[in-house]
Amino acid sequence: MSPFQRVYSLMLYAYPRDFRREYGKQMQQVFRDRCRDLAGSSGWRPAARFAAHLTADLVSSSARERASAVWTAVRKPGRRGFVSEWSMTIIMYLFAATTLVQAYVVPTGSMENTIRIGDHMLVDRVGYADPGPMGWHILPYRAIGRGDLVVFHYPEDVRTAYVKRVIGIPGDRIRLENKQVVRNGRRLVESYTQHISSYIEPYRDNFPQPPDFYTTPRGRDMLANHVEGGELVVPPDALFVLGDNRDNSADSRYWGFVPRSYVIGKPLLVYWSYDAPTADLQEWNFRHFVDVAEHFFTRTRWDRTLLVPRSQAAQEIGDGQ
Amino acid sequence: MAKPQLPHDLLPLTPPVFHILLALSDRERHGYGIMQDVARQTGGALQLGPGTLYGCLKRMLSAQLVEESDERPDPELDDERRRYYRITPLGDRAVRAEARRLADAVSAAVGKRLLDQKKPGIAGGKA
Repeated sequence: MSPFQRVYSLMLYAYPRDFRREYGKQMQQVFRDRCRDLAGSSGWRPAARFAAHLTADLVSSSARERASAVWTAVRKPGRRGFVSEWSMTIIMYLFAATTLVQAYVVPTGSMENTIRIGDHMLVDRVGYADPGPMGWHILPYRAIGRGDLVVFHYPEDVRTAYVKRVIGIPGDRIRLENKQVVRNGRRLVESYTQHISSYIEPYRDNFPQPPDFYTTPRGRDMLANHVEGGELVVPPDALFVLGDNRDNSADSRYWGFVPRSYVIGKPLLVYWSYDAPTADLQEWNFRHFVDVAEHFFTRTRWDRTLLVPRSQAAQEIGDGQ
Repeated sequence: MAKPQLPHDLLPLTPPVFHILLALSDRERHGYGIMQDVARQTGGALQLGPGTLYGCLKRMLSAQLVEESDERPDPELDDERRRYYRITPLGDRAVRAEARRLADAVSAAVGKRLLDQKKPGIAGGKA
């Protein structure tokens, strides 16, 4: 048995037991026949297309067969079948829920108004995952680019997830001049930012500067090792990120670069946006529960429901170098 | 699953079911043979994956549109035994009724000048 066939025979465990017993052998035969036909074709493209198609087929048909197996088990309660179908199905959905998408709530306003306090969102964990050499062609992976929104482990406390916008990718030279970002010598006009104060604070708005009171040790390290000629140079496998609420955001200016491997994913969808104070969103409490029950319809921001936060490219002015 | 006795209760057929019945209408085939024939019929537009194919076959077996034939090797492939499927009289009536329904839909579309009627091969296009 070739390694591919072994992988496929393992993938068959996605299907309910009865279905697998009845058709598993035939499905493997079909898979083998298809592989043999593909071996005759040249290049990797047909194989990659087949792999993508096979994955889609597996996901959709196994979900359907599982749903139908659970449905049959509910209607004809044979104890053992019922429990095992349900548990396997739940395990599969949990697997999908924790590896493919994850739900987060945003408790702070550093990304206002792109992402608001109380936005509950789903994060796509596949899109920015490290694809490996083959993955580029098969799954919908994408390189992280400037202007993209990313969710990542906060480097100072990896248990916390942050969402920010990517301003600098490896090799970029960044500085801020009176709140305006200058990247590789070109000024950025960023339509997505918000400024809540006209006051120019030297460290925050004319970055980089000598560390100030709020700069963490990681931030100090960044300033000590990656500033060249008054500009910050983004090292390999790192990202420089800023919040859209530029005057009130603790971001790469204060705590340094985000290592590429800390990236969790990209915001996929705001499924619910509820106007609540930061403290209630950070930690579950009973008062919040009552508040939601009481004000669900009035405090839900309906216009943000099912909103897709998008990457936005900044307009660049100047020649650069 | 409830077992409808009249082909009309089954209409419209889903595209995979229709094309599988079409593949089996002239002779019995094994799973991979069905996949290849469906791809041929649709010019490659409909590619059935193994899961979709056998999921459909399972439902079609229980609706008695198809039945299992014997298990034997396919001389064109190798000496491995394969399960063959064959269309039932009910399946035959269902695929004919669906083809008729589609032809009527096509001729309605021709009547509305949505299709180029000079093109050959459109059944029932007499507008």
